[in-house]
Amino acid sequence: MDYFKKYVLLIVAGAVILLSLIFYLVNIPKSREANLIERTALSVFAPAMMPVQKASLYFRGAWDEYINLVNVRRENKKLQDKIKDLNNEILAGRETQQANVRLTKLLEMKSNVKASTLSATVIGEDVSSWFSTIVIDRGSSSGLKEGMAVVAAEGVVGQIVKVSSSSSRVLLLTDHASGIAATIQRSRARGVVKGKGEGLCSLEFTTREEDVKVGDIVIASGIGGIFMKGLPIGEVTMVRRGEYGIFQTVTIRPAVNSSHLEEVLVVLRGGYE
Amino acid sequence: MSCGAVMSRSSFLIFVSAVFVSILMQTTFLTVFLTSPFKPDLLLVILVFIALRSSYEIGTPVAWMLGLLKDVFGGLYLGMNSFTFLIIFLIIKGMADRLYAESCFLFVFAVIGATLACVSGNMLLLVFTNTPGIAYTIGYNLIPHLLTNAFAASLVALLPGFTEDEDMA
Repeated sequence: MDYFKKYVLLIVAGAVILLSLIFYLVNIPKSREANLIERTALSVFAPAMMPVQKASLYFRGAWDEYINLVNVRRENKKLQDKIKDLNNEILAGRETQQANVRLTKLLEMKSNVKASTLSATVIGEDVSSWFSTIVIDRGSSSGLKEGMAVVAAEGVVGQIVKVSSSSSRVLLLTDHASGIAATIQRSRARGVVKGKGEGLCSLEFTTREEDVKVGDIVIASGIGGIFMKGLPIGEVTMVRRGEYGIFQTVTIRPAVNSSHLEEVLVVLRGGYE
Repeated sequence: MSCGAVMSRSSFLIFVSAVFVSILMQTTFLTVFLTSPFKPDLLLVILVFIALRSSYEIGTPVAWMLGLLKDVFGGLYLGMNSFTFLIIFLIIKGMADRLYAESCFLFVFAVIGATLACVSGNMLLLVFTNTPGIAYTIGYNLIPHLLTNAFAASLVALLPGFTEDEDMA
């Protein structure tokens, strides 16, 4: 009995192993049929397996999505940066294209002007509301003098009135103090283009008998020697002949829109000493 | 309000910076966004501030120089605005000692009055120049100019430290 007690654990373990082996061997031929144990276990667990499976899938999905989201966020940031870079490149490209168009036109004007010219960039405007001047980035160090003509691709801009070493102020055609001898291109009627403010000019001293019509192109007559003959000044937008008076009232819209002016050409001739 | 004859170093630096920034704003930055009638006269706003806060000794040459700066960057006639600014300064300064100079409303009204005085002064002085029709342009621009200046003044009045006793002089 003592012997049995001493080895009980070994005997039980051996018996269990043997029984399980027998169980296995008995079930080998019926491997494709569910036995009672299998059926019972499956029946018990099956109802619980489905929701657990669903929950597992849900959590796996959530985890995957979280991981994906982290990646997507990173990728999104990268793509946004890329879009920003590309947009900047597009803007820079457009700016270059527009500058190219403007400068090409300016070059055409440069070749039409029969005198040496110097290009300048507009860097400022008049601080006052009722004077029309602009500041350009060239001065006496570039050879500029008061009185020199300033033109743009579309035509006459104005005249240099104040010069410092590195910048100059240009009196625009539309300023009340401005006056340029002009001719109507079609009928050759003469007059003086004076600034009217508000971006407009008027043709003064043109007698009532002169042939001036709306739409006529006004050009510089060359009288005075500052602006070369033929430079476009603007277009006639209104003609009024009163019953009395010697002269007619002619309003001109300048060829150059000074509010959008960026580059100009200074004609390097003349000027006051 | 202190009315000594010497401007402190910090006040001087603030003043010079304000003038510098105002000129840059008026000649380059604001012109891109604002059409001509809506250009504020920031130098005039500074002048009114100086007239309300500083002494005669400092304010008088400063007012004249502010006007001179305006003439350098606007119009053709050097001395026109320096004269007008000087007159405006003396008028405001003459009244400022009897008023509550730190008031925001007073500042805005003073800027409106100064704008009208400046426009009137300019028109009178332009009689001596060959600028026919400029009165019409000035009149046409007057209301928007007045409103813009008043708006700029109201913004200045919102700046921190405006209602405090500033040591301008």
